[in-house]
Amino acid sequence: MRAETFRNAGDGIAAGGGLASRFFAQGASSYSMTTGTTSANPSAAAACWSCGAPVSGSHFCAGCGRIQPLAREADYFSFFGLPRKLTFDASDLESRFHQLSWKLHPDNFAGASEFERELSLERSSQLNDAYRALNEPLSRVEYLLSLAGMRKEGQQKQQAPPELLEEVFELNESLDELRGARRSGGDPGELASLRKRLQAARENFREKLGEVDRSLEQLSGEWDRALDANSAASPDADNPAQRKLMERMNEALNRRSYIRNLVESVQKELAES
Amino acid sequence: MGRTVGIDLGTTFSLIAAFDPAEGRPRCVPGPYGSTLCPSVVSVDPDGSILVGEPARRRLLTQPERTIYSVKRLMGRGVEDVQEELKLFPFRIDPESRNVIRVRLGERVLTPPEISSFILRELKSWAERHFGESVERAVITVPAYFNDAQRQATRDAGRLAGLEVLRLVNEPTAAALAYGLHEQRRGRVAVYDLGGGTFDISILKLVSTGQGDIYQVLSTNGDTHLGGDDLDLRLLAVARQEIRVRHGLNLAQHPAVVQELRKALIGAKHELSESNRATLLVPLPDGSAYVREITRAEFEGLVQPILERTMGPVRMALADSKLRSEEIDEVVLVGGSTRVPLVRRMVEQLFGRRPHTELDPDEVVALGAAVQADILSRGVKDMLLLDVTPLSLGMETMGGVVAKIIPRNSTIPASAQEMFTTGVENQTGIDIHVLQGERELAADCRSLAKFQLRVPPGPAGLARIEVKFLIDANGILQVSARDLRTGQQQSLEVQPSYGLNDTEIERMLEESIEYAEQDFARRQLIESRHEGEAILQATARSLARLEAEAPGEMPEAERRAVEAAESALREALAGDDYKLIRARTEEMNQATLPLAERVMNRALSGALAGKRLSDV
Repeated sequence: MRAETFRNAGDGIAAGGGLASRFFAQGASSYSMTTGTTSANPSAAAACWSCGAPVSGSHFCAGCGRIQPLAREADYFSFFGLPRKLTFDASDLESRFHQLSWKLHPDNFAGASEFERELSLERSSQLNDAYRALNEPLSRVEYLLSLAGMRKEGQQKQQAPPELLEEVFELNESLDELRGARRSGGDPGELASLRKRLQAARENFREKLGEVDRSLEQLSGEWDRALDANSAASPDADNPAQRKLMERMNEALNRRSYIRNLVESVQKELAES
Repeated sequence: MGRTVGIDLGTTFSLIAAFDPAEGRPRCVPGPYGSTLCPSVVSVDPDGSILVGEPARRRLLTQPERTIYSVKRLMGRGVEDVQEELKLFPFRIDPESRNVIRVRLGERVLTPPEISSFILRELKSWAERHFGESVERAVITVPAYFNDAQRQATRDAGRLAGLEVLRLVNEPTAAALAYGLHEQRRGRVAVYDLGGGTFDISILKLVSTGQGDIYQVLSTNGDTHLGGDDLDLRLLAVARQEIRVRHGLNLAQHPAVVQELRKALIGAKHELSESNRATLLVPLPDGSAYVREITRAEFEGLVQPILERTMGPVRMALADSKLRSEEIDEVVLVGGSTRVPLVRRMVEQLFGRRPHTELDPDEVVALGAAVQADILSRGVKDMLLLDVTPLSLGMETMGGVVAKIIPRNSTIPASAQEMFTTGVENQTGIDIHVLQGERELAADCRSLAKFQLRVPPGPAGLARIEVKFLIDANGILQVSARDLRTGQQQSLEVQPSYGLNDTEIERMLEESIEYAEQDFARRQLIESRHEGEAILQATARSLARLEAEAPGEMPEAERRAVEAAESALREALAGDDYKLIRARTEEMNQATLPLAERVMNRALSGALAGKRLSDV
């Protein structure tokens, strides 16, 4: 990484003039959307940078076929032309990913203008980011919640879920004992029994992880059914029922990441002892 | 626009290839010595000229301190990264070296990208001679596990060589492309690429779609400091120890002997891929010789621990691809070191299937690069590569902890946005440190760059600066920042942690053009002198033979013409005008034509009398 690449990124924009500044005013994050955003699409009135024909968030202009800048409101679901549902056929998503890759990849624009190459880079990176987020059920839920402003990077709650408090307390005690026993050279019999206790705890928490996953799966199904019932193309965070579902999913995700951290720390301790 | 080529810039050898439209397949271009392999060796002549490839490799024996090999191991690295290997290389590092290594070769001090650019220039000249047209654009391959700085350094080398680098392609991916074209394979493929200095493992999925074939990399892993070189170094350490014990000799004072020994050991290593034993015979400075037989079993025992180091990355790549080894449909071996039978056995055992070795493991990467070069230059697409970034991208946060923003094995191009704000009132800048790697602490990851976001003064938390990190299709990072409150794009002044900055590149580019002219003239002079000397010697031999066998056969006028041409040539050889030497050499050629004919005729009649032509 060098200054030049940074300056180039800026220069490319400057070279594009007015069109380019609009591109950057629109381009970029969908993660930064705030609560209450609905499917309203202000870019519906936008015009193609090349021929002026109206474009409404599509990858290419229907008139001249030129690649279009990303709309700021564009989310990963609509990027693939999908509703904001949480359960879907992975092979369908993959084939959409491959089809869009053919059209948007920078290889396609090797001989195009600098501006179009920038657009291809923007759109194909967005495509890959979107596929990465939606391909895994968990990150898909996380992404959906982030669209509603419910999950912000680095703000996940790390308190123990109340019903786990007792078990977590015991686990931490066992971990401390194991560390203590190891430091003092401890007697092998004691170490072995501590290890056994930790292994049992690990299995216990792994089971809990499975439970959380099942409940997330169930919530995802509920979410999709609610969406179908509403016949809305996208979620409405102001809708109390949907809001409630999202909160439950958010809780489940926090719980999951908490338990996963526990399992990992036990794993690490066992590997070291 | 000239031809677009694919270049494999390797640790030990480099190759250049181009797609042959008539044959519908890529081909490697041979150099002046007939081989398609150009040794990645660069030597600085005492007269200042640069020698590359085979002539440079010969100088490893005569002028090791002016000659450098395996420069790829130094690309994009700082001095502290390479302390271990510096002990083993004959060349010296300039004490001024910091974030970019500077190698002292004779009178010149050169950076790894400059040295690599000489190799690229040499290959470029091979292709230009071969095709009779200029070559200005190239796809260059890099190890899949190369980090940002190593990729930047490779792209810089291309630029310094006067090439427009259309794309950096990962070596195992290029190999898969060449194999796919060759075999029309489908399914899940593991590419195990053990070269001279780097190891890569990539897991790919080959998919046929309506538009064509997609080569999607699922995961990659590797070690940019593991390869055939390490096997050689192991053998070398053993041999030097034996020489110390048996002969009481420390070879540290004899770099040329070390190179002779290294050459012999590499020869033995190659031989052991074919046969069960090899014998070494290396003359030592005390007049004695190091004579040693080595069996394949002993060799395998010595190098097994090194080869075992490839298995960790293989398992990691499999885990990241979420595949088990038995779900891999094909295994492809790439890189010269995969000729070692032990490597083949280890790979076969791990995947439970016989690996593919149909394509020349030395050429396959360059061939794949040529395919990608063709795709990019013609815009005709029936194949698409979707590659990944090998290392997670992160930012340093509180307490030196790294927050990952783009995970490893993300399909590229990939991006991430981060929002920044101020923590205290009237804070004017936010420092950002970008890193690459999988470890939790910044100190354990590879630093890529540092920069500062400028913030207009105001209350804490008011500023909203969005930084966009984008890894492009070359696997190289671009960063842009935008003030969300004003919508203004912010220009960034970035200090790369390793690598050359713009000013240095510009200066080197100017120097390289200047030197290129000087180098060209010097090289022409060396070559023309060589040709001139050669014809003088040949003429002297012919004259002596004719005198001995048929005195007086040559007419006086003819003899005088030869003598005149000879003294004219000698006069030219005393100067340094290569054009004059060329012209006089040609005159000498003309003047000696009748003489050559006489000698030839005698040889032919002699052949009837039982003499062989080669005896003449």
